Amino acid sequence: MDMNEESSEARKLKCGDTSKCFELLESILDGEMDNSKKVLTEKLAKCQPCFEHFHLEQAIRDLLKNKCTKHALPAELADSIRKQIQEIK
Amino acid sequence: MSEVQRRKYSQEEKNSIFDGEFMPHIDSMYNFAYRLTFDEDDAKDLVQDTYLKAYRFINSFEQGTNAKAWLFRILKNSFINEYRRKSKQPAKVDYQEVETYYNSDDVDYQSTSDMRAESLKDMLGDEISNALNSLVVDFRTVIILCDLEGFTYEEMSKILDIPIGTVRSRLHRARNLLKEKLQGYAKHMGYKTDEEEE
Ligand SMILES: [Zn+2]
Repeated sequence: MDMNEESSEARKLKCGDTSKCFELLESILDGEMDNSKKVLTEKLAKCQPCFEHFHLEQAIRDLLKNKCTKHALPAELADSIRKQIQEIK
Repeated sequence: MSEVQRRKYSQEEKNSIFDGEFMPHIDSMYNFAYRLTFDEDDAKDLVQDTYLKAYRFINSFEQGTNAKAWLFRILKNSFINEYRRKSKQPAKVDYQEVETYYNSDDVDYQSTSDMRAESLKDMLGDEISNALNSLVVDFRTVIILCDLEGFTYEEMSKILDIPIGTVRSRLHRARNLLKEKLQGYAKHMGYKTDEEEE
């Protein structure tokens, strides 16, 4: 979903309804909308604030996803759990 | 466990559910537990307790349904009931006040941030991680569930026992707070914001 190539020339500088637009964009980013691709392409091509908001929100999600899920599991934890389950079986 | 007891699994079925459907989520469970408690030993205990509970209540789990969401719900409830009091929260907050104020479903989706996506490009893991950890637990939790673990709003609503509208608004507020923190870091790193250019 990289829209960076889109030209910004045709975009409005003010968003008609930031509140509605941003809510929609965030739902799309969270995977809560079906057929979101067409809506998204149209929105991002038309409106500069929406375009910027979308990319900022996307960058934050990417950063979270890539940098915050790497806390290594202690080696013995899974075995220790299996052992305790064996005992209560 | 609010789920209705369906039927009793045989020992063989229990083993198969436990190994095949529960254990594969242990990495995510540990990451969640660590981000709730900020302590490796507490996180280990919390994950271990959760798996023992899951095994004990395995008959209330319907095989083939969403095991990850089911496990996360147990972990979250264990955390609230047993660990929250002793966990090392970064800041003391009046929890009730936060709850009352932030549980409103009305959210104004105005942009609260002048930050640009580019300013995040050079952000290090520590910065985003610290920003996330600095949020109060309810805000931290929705971001972990949504952005780190990819749960849907509906799954989150079940894990947290809150309406979908509340999930949505809490998530939006959590992200705004996160942006404020990140913006602070970005400024520190010398990125210009709109505010400064004016
Ligand atoms: Zn717009």
